[in-house]
Amino acid sequence: MSTDLPELDPVIHAQARLRVVAALSQLPGGDRITFPRLQEILRMTAGNLSVHLRKLEEAGYVEVTKTHRGRTPATLVHLTQRGRFAFEEYVSALRTLIDPGEEPS
Amino acid sequence: MTSTDDESSFEDPGEALRLIEREQANTMRHVTPDPRLMYWPWGLTWLISFGLSFLRFGPDGKTFVDMPDWLPLLALTGLLIAAGIFTGIVGARASRHISGPSSRQGAAYGISWSAGFTSLAIIFGRVGEHVPDEMLGLLWGGGMVALVGVLYMAGSAIWDVRDMFVLGAWISVVNVIGVLWGPGWHALVLAVAGGGGLLAAGLIGWMRRR
Repeated sequence: MSTDLPELDPVIHAQARLRVVAALSQLPGGDRITFPRLQEILRMTAGNLSVHLRKLEEAGYVEVTKTHRGRTPATLVHLTQRGRFAFEEYVSALRTLIDPGEEPS
Repeated sequence: MTSTDDESSFEDPGEALRLIEREQANTMRHVTPDPRLMYWPWGLTWLISFGLSFLRFGPDGKTFVDMPDWLPLLALTGLLIAAGIFTGIVGARASRHISGPSSRQGAAYGISWSAGFTSLAIIFGRVGEHVPDEMLGLLWGGGMVALVGVLYMAGSAIWDVRDMFVLGAWISVVNVIGVLWGPGWHALVLAVAGGGGLLAAGLIGWMRRR
Protein backbone atom coordinates (compact mmCIF):
# COMPACT_ATOMS: atom_id res chain seq x y z
CA MET A 1 0.00 0.00 0.00
CA SER A 2 1.44 3.36 -0.95
CA THR A 3 2.03 5.80 1.86
CA ASP A 4 -0.31 8.51 0.59
CA LEU A 5 -3.40 6.36 1.09
CA PRO A 6 -5.21 7.39 4.27
CA GLU A 7 -5.28 5.21 7.38
CA LEU A 8 -8.71 4.10 8.54
CA ASP A 9 -9.51 4.88 12.16
CA PRO A 10 -9.47 1.42 13.84
CA VAL A 11 -12.02 2.51 16.45
CA ILE A 12 -14.63 3.17 13.76
CA HIS A 13 -13.46 0.62 11.22
CA ALA A 14 -15.38 -2.31 12.71
CA GLN A 15 -18.88 -3.24 11.55
CA ALA A 16 -20.69 -2.85 14.84
CA ARG A 17 -19.07 0.42 15.89
CA LEU A 18 -19.43 1.89 12.42
CA ARG A 19 -23.17 1.20 12.62
CA VAL A 20 -23.37 2.85 16.07
CA VAL A 21 -21.50 5.96 14.91
CA ALA A 22 -23.42 6.20 11.62
CA ALA A 23 -26.74 6.05 13.49
CA LEU A 24 -25.67 8.61 16.11
CA SER A 25 -24.40 10.96 13.39
CA GLN A 26 -27.99 11.37 12.18
CA LEU A 27 -29.10 13.00 15.42
CA PRO A 28 -28.67 16.78 15.57
CA GLY A 29 -25.54 17.79 17.55
CA GLY A 30 -26.34 18.05 21.24
CA ASP A 31 -29.21 15.54 21.13
CA ARG A 32 -29.00 12.56 23.43
CA ILE A 33 -30.72 9.22 22.90
CA THR A 34 -31.56 6.64 25.51
CA PHE A 35 -29.73 3.32 25.46
CA PRO A 36 -32.84 1.15 24.81
CA ARG A 37 -33.99 3.37 21.92
CA LEU A 38 -30.54 3.22 20.32
CA GLN A 39 -30.57 -0.54 20.80
CA GLU A 40 -33.96 -0.75 19.08
CA ILE A 41 -32.78 1.32 16.10
CA LEU A 42 -29.58 -0.69 15.72
CA ARG A 43 -31.18 -4.07 16.43
CA MET A 44 -28.28 -5.07 18.72
CA THR A 45 -28.28 -6.94 21.99
CA ALA A 46 -27.75 -4.83 25.11
CA GLY A 47 -24.48 -6.60 25.94
CA ASN A 48 -23.12 -6.15 22.46
CA LEU A 49 -24.05 -2.47 22.29
CA SER A 50 -22.52 -1.84 25.74
CA VAL A 51 -19.20 -3.36 24.71
CA HIS A 52 -18.93 -1.20 21.61
CA LEU A 53 -20.15 1.96 23.32
CA ARG A 54 -17.44 1.47 25.95
CA LYS A 55 -14.77 1.32 23.25
CA LEU A 56 -16.17 4.42 21.59
CA GLU A 57 -16.33 6.15 24.95
CA GLU A 58 -12.67 5.29 25.70
CA ALA A 59 -11.73 6.96 22.42
CA GLY A 60 -13.75 10.04 23.42
CA TYR A 61 -16.13 9.57 20.48
CA VAL A 62 -19.32 9.11 22.46
CA GLU A 63 -20.43 10.32 25.85
CA VAL A 64 -22.56 8.05 28.00
CA THR A 65 -24.38 9.75 30.88
CA LYS A 66 -26.52 8.18 33.56
CA THR A 67 -29.49 10.19 34.69
CA HIS A 68 -32.97 9.79 36.11
CA ARG A 69 -36.25 10.30 34.30
CA GLY A 70 -38.65 10.61 37.15
CA ARG A 71 -37.73 7.60 39.27
CA THR A 72 -36.41 5.37 36.52
CA PRO A 73 -32.71 5.50 35.77
CA ALA A 74 -31.86 6.28 32.16
CA THR A 75 -28.66 5.98 30.19
CA LEU A 76 -28.20 8.66 27.55
CA VAL A 77 -25.80 8.42 24.64
CA HIS A 78 -24.48 11.10 22.34
CA LEU A 79 -21.80 11.55 19.72
CA THR A 80 -19.16 14.05 20.89
CA GLN A 81 -17.71 16.75 18.64
CA ARG A 82 -14.60 14.63 18.46
CA GLY A 83 -16.63 11.56 17.45
CA ARG A 84 -18.48 13.48 14.77
CA PHE A 85 -15.19 14.79 13.39
CA ALA A 86 -13.61 11.31 13.46
CA PHE A 87 -16.61 9.92 11.58
CA GLU A 88 -16.34 12.62 8.90
CA GLU A 89 -12.62 11.92 8.55
CA TYR A 90 -13.35 8.20 8.27
CA VAL A 91 -15.93 8.74 5.52
CA SER A 92 -13.60 10.99 3.56
CA ALA A 93 -10.78 8.43 3.97
CA LEU A 94 -13.09 5.75 2.54
CA ARG A 95 -13.86 7.96 -0.44
CA THR A 96 -10.15 8.54 -1.04
CA LEU A 97 -9.54 4.78 -0.93
CA ILE A 98 -12.24 4.22 -3.52
CA ASP A 99 -11.01 7.01 -5.75
CA PRO A 100 -7.41 7.95 -4.82
CA GLY A 101 -7.37 10.67 -7.47
CA GLU A 102 -9.95 12.64 -5.57
CA GLU A 103 -8.65 14.88 -2.79
CA PRO A 104 -10.41 14.28 0.52
CA SER A 105 -12.78 17.13 1.20
CA MET B 1 -28.62 -8.76 8.79
CA THR B 2 -24.86 -8.59 9.07
CA SER B 3 -23.02 -10.00 12.05
CA THR B 4 -22.44 -7.36 14.68
CA ASP B 5 -20.98 -9.26 17.59
CA ASP B 6 -17.37 -9.14 16.50
CA GLU B 7 -14.63 -6.85 15.33
CA SER B 8 -15.13 -7.74 11.68
CA SER B 9 -14.11 -4.95 9.37
CA PHE B 10 -14.26 -4.56 5.62
CA GLU B 11 -12.06 -5.52 2.75
CA ASP B 12 -13.90 -3.17 0.47
CA PRO B 13 -14.31 0.54 1.39
CA GLY B 14 -17.41 0.66 -0.80
CA GLU B 15 -19.02 -1.91 1.46
CA ALA B 16 -18.35 0.34 4.46
CA LEU B 17 -19.93 3.32 2.68
CA ARG B 18 -23.02 1.27 1.82
CA LEU B 19 -23.31 0.14 5.44
CA ILE B 20 -23.13 3.79 6.56
CA GLU B 21 -25.84 4.82 4.11
CA ARG B 22 -28.10 1.93 5.15
CA GLU B 23 -27.67 2.68 8.82
CA GLN B 24 -28.23 6.41 8.40
CA ALA B 25 -31.39 5.86 6.35
CA ASN B 26 -32.65 3.33 8.88
CA THR B 27 -32.02 5.80 11.74
CA MET B 28 -33.86 8.59 9.92
CA ARG B 29 -36.86 6.30 9.40
CA HIS B 30 -36.90 5.69 13.14
CA VAL B 31 -36.40 9.20 14.48
CA THR B 32 -38.47 11.22 12.00
CA PRO B 33 -42.20 10.60 11.61
CA ASP B 34 -43.58 9.06 8.42
CA PRO B 35 -44.59 12.06 6.25
CA ARG B 36 -47.76 10.23 5.14
CA LEU B 37 -48.93 9.98 8.74
CA MET B 38 -48.07 13.65 9.37
CA TYR B 39 -49.74 15.18 6.28
CA TRP B 40 -52.53 12.87 5.15
CA PRO B 41 -54.78 13.38 8.19
CA TRP B 42 -54.71 17.15 7.52
CA GLY B 43 -55.19 16.67 3.78
CA LEU B 44 -58.26 14.49 4.35
CA THR B 45 -59.61 16.93 6.92
CA TRP B 46 -59.41 19.81 4.43
CA LEU B 47 -60.72 17.76 1.52
CA ILE B 48 -63.75 16.51 3.45
CA SER B 49 -64.70 19.52 5.55
CA PHE B 50 -64.04 22.31 3.03
CA GLY B 51 -65.65 20.07 0.42
CA LEU B 52 -68.79 19.80 2.56
CA SER B 53 -68.69 23.55 3.12
CA PHE B 54 -68.56 24.20 -0.65
CA LEU B 55 -71.45 21.80 -1.29
CA ARG B 56 -73.61 23.36 1.43
CA PHE B 57 -72.57 27.02 1.15
CA GLY B 58 -71.67 27.35 -2.52
CA PRO B 59 -70.91 30.54 -4.46
CA ASP B 60 -73.72 33.16 -4.50
CA GLY B 61 -75.53 31.34 -1.70
CA LYS B 62 -76.18 28.23 -3.80
CA THR B 63 -76.72 24.91 -2.06
CA PHE B 64 -75.47 22.01 -4.17
CA VAL B 65 -76.24 19.31 -1.63
CA ASP B 66 -78.93 19.75 0.97
CA MET B 67 -77.57 18.99 4.42
CA PRO B 68 -77.95 20.53 7.88
CA ASP B 69 -76.14 23.90 7.98
CA TRP B 70 -74.16 22.87 11.06
CA LEU B 71 -72.67 19.78 9.43
CA PRO B 72 -69.63 21.31 7.62
CA LEU B 73 -68.45 23.17 10.72
CA LEU B 74 -69.00 20.14 12.94
CA ALA B 75 -67.05 17.96 10.49
CA LEU B 76 -64.23 20.53 10.38
CA THR B 77 -63.98 20.83 14.16
CA GLY B 78 -64.15 17.08 14.75
CA LEU B 79 -61.65 16.20 12.03
CA LEU B 80 -59.22 18.97 13.09
CA ILE B 81 -59.19 17.67 16.66
CA ALA B 82 -58.73 14.07 15.48
CA ALA B 83 -55.92 15.03 13.09
CA GLY B 84 -54.23 17.12 15.79
CA ILE B 85 -54.27 14.28 18.31
CA PHE B 86 -53.17 11.71 15.73
CA THR B 87 -50.23 13.70 14.33
CA GLY B 88 -49.24 14.75 17.85
CA ILE B 89 -48.95 11.09 18.88
CA VAL B 90 -47.07 10.12 15.69
CA GLY B 91 -44.63 13.03 16.10
CA ALA B 92 -44.03 12.31 19.78
CA ARG B 93 -43.45 8.61 19.09
CA ALA B 94 -40.70 9.40 16.58
CA SER B 95 -38.82 11.64 18.99
CA ARG B 96 -39.37 9.56 22.11
CA HIS B 97 -36.31 8.83 24.27
CA ILE B 98 -34.35 11.55 22.51
CA SER B 99 -33.64 14.73 24.41
CA GLY B 100 -31.80 17.91 23.59
CA PRO B 101 -32.12 20.88 21.27
CA SER B 102 -34.34 19.10 18.72
CA SER B 103 -37.06 18.26 21.23
CA ARG B 104 -37.06 21.86 22.45
CA GLN B 105 -37.40 23.04 18.84
CA GLY B 106 -40.29 20.62 18.34
CA ALA B 107 -42.02 21.78 21.52
CA ALA B 108 -41.63 25.47 20.64
CA TYR B 109 -43.02 24.80 17.17
CA GLY B 110 -45.97 22.83 18.53
CA ILE B 111 -46.80 25.55 21.03
CA SER B 112 -46.63 28.15 18.23
CA TRP B 113 -49.43 26.32 16.39
CA SER B 114 -51.65 26.20 19.47
CA ALA B 115 -50.94 29.81 20.40
CA GLY B 116 -51.65 31.03 16.85
CA PHE B 117 -54.93 29.15 16.54
CA THR B 118 -56.11 30.20 19.99
CA SER B 119 -55.38 33.88 19.31
CA LEU B 120 -57.14 33.83 15.95
CA ALA B 121 -60.14 31.92 17.34
CA ILE B 122 -60.59 34.57 20.03
CA ILE B 123 -60.17 37.46 17.56
CA PHE B 124 -62.50 35.95 14.93
CA GLY B 125 -65.07 35.00 17.56
CA ARG B 126 -65.14 38.60 18.76
CA VAL B 127 -65.08 40.28 15.33
CA GLY B 128 -67.36 37.67 13.77
CA GLU B 129 -70.38 39.06 15.65
CA HIS B 130 -70.24 42.07 13.33
CA VAL B 131 -69.46 40.27 10.08
CA PRO B 132 -72.23 39.26 7.66
CA ASP B 133 -72.93 35.53 7.68
CA GLU B 134 -71.74 34.91 4.12
CA MET B 135 -68.32 36.38 4.99
CA LEU B 136 -67.82 34.33 8.17
CA GLY B 137 -66.40 31.38 6.22
CA LEU B 138 -63.83 33.63 4.55
CA LEU B 139 -62.82 35.18 7.86
CA TRP B 140 -62.36 31.89 9.70
CA GLY B 141 -61.18 29.72 6.83
CA GLY B 142 -58.99 32.38 5.22
CA GLY B 143 -57.44 33.51 8.51
CA MET B 144 -56.71 30.05 9.90
CA VAL B 145 -55.32 28.76 6.61
CA ALA B 146 -53.07 31.84 6.28
CA LEU B 147 -51.61 30.87 9.66
CA VAL B 148 -51.10 27.25 8.52
CA GLY B 149 -49.22 28.41 5.40
CA VAL B 150 -46.93 30.68 7.39
CA LEU B 151 -46.22 28.04 10.04
CA TYR B 152 -45.23 25.48 7.41
CA MET B 153 -42.87 28.01 5.84
CA ALA B 154 -41.42 28.83 9.28
CA GLY B 155 -41.06 25.08 9.95
CA SER B 156 -38.84 24.77 6.91
CA ALA B 157 -36.61 27.45 8.45
CA ILE B 158 -36.23 25.33 11.60
CA TRP B 159 -35.59 21.93 10.01
CA ASP B 160 -34.17 23.08 6.72
CA VAL B 161 -36.74 21.09 4.74
CA ARG B 162 -37.37 22.66 1.35
CA ASP B 163 -40.55 20.68 0.64
CA MET B 164 -42.16 22.13 3.75
CA PHE B 165 -41.48 25.65 2.48
CA VAL B 166 -42.99 24.82 -0.90
CA LEU B 167 -46.09 23.40 0.83
CA GLY B 168 -46.48 26.50 3.02
CA ALA B 169 -46.03 28.85 0.09
CA TRP B 170 -48.54 26.85 -1.99
CA ILE B 171 -51.13 26.95 0.79
CA SER B 172 -50.58 30.70 1.28
CA VAL B 173 -51.01 31.44 -2.42
CA VAL B 174 -54.11 29.29 -3.03
CA ASN B 175 -55.68 30.67 0.15
CA VAL B 176 -55.29 34.27 -1.04
CA ILE B 177 -56.62 33.34 -4.49
CA GLY B 178 -59.65 31.69 -2.86
CA VAL B 179 -60.32 34.67 -0.60
CA LEU B 180 -60.18 37.08 -3.56
CA TRP B 181 -62.43 34.76 -5.58
CA GLY B 182 -65.05 34.97 -2.86
CA PRO B 183 -67.21 32.91 -0.50
CA GLY B 184 -67.96 29.37 -1.69
CA TRP B 185 -65.11 29.35 -4.19
CA HIS B 186 -62.68 29.75 -1.30
CA ALA B 187 -63.90 26.48 0.23
CA LEU B 188 -63.57 24.71 -3.11
CA VAL B 189 -60.01 25.96 -3.60
CA LEU B 190 -59.02 24.87 -0.08
CA ALA B 191 -60.61 21.44 -0.48
CA VAL B 192 -59.01 20.66 -3.84
CA ALA B 193 -55.75 22.63 -3.98
CA GLY B 194 -55.13 22.88 -0.21
CA GLY B 195 -56.18 19.34 0.74
CA GLY B 196 -54.59 18.00 -2.44
CA GLY B 197 -51.35 19.86 -1.63
CA LEU B 198 -51.20 18.28 1.81
CA LEU B 199 -51.84 14.80 0.39
CA ALA B 200 -49.15 15.36 -2.24
CA ALA B 201 -46.68 16.59 0.42
CA GLY B 202 -47.17 13.36 2.38
CA LEU B 203 -46.66 11.23 -0.71
CA ILE B 204 -43.57 13.12 -1.92
CA GLY B 205 -41.99 13.09 1.55
CA TRP B 206 -42.59 9.36 1.86
CA MET B 207 -41.14 8.61 -1.59
CA ARG B 208 -38.03 10.67 -0.84
CA ARG B 209 -37.13 8.66 2.24
CA ARG B 210 -37.73 5.21 0.87
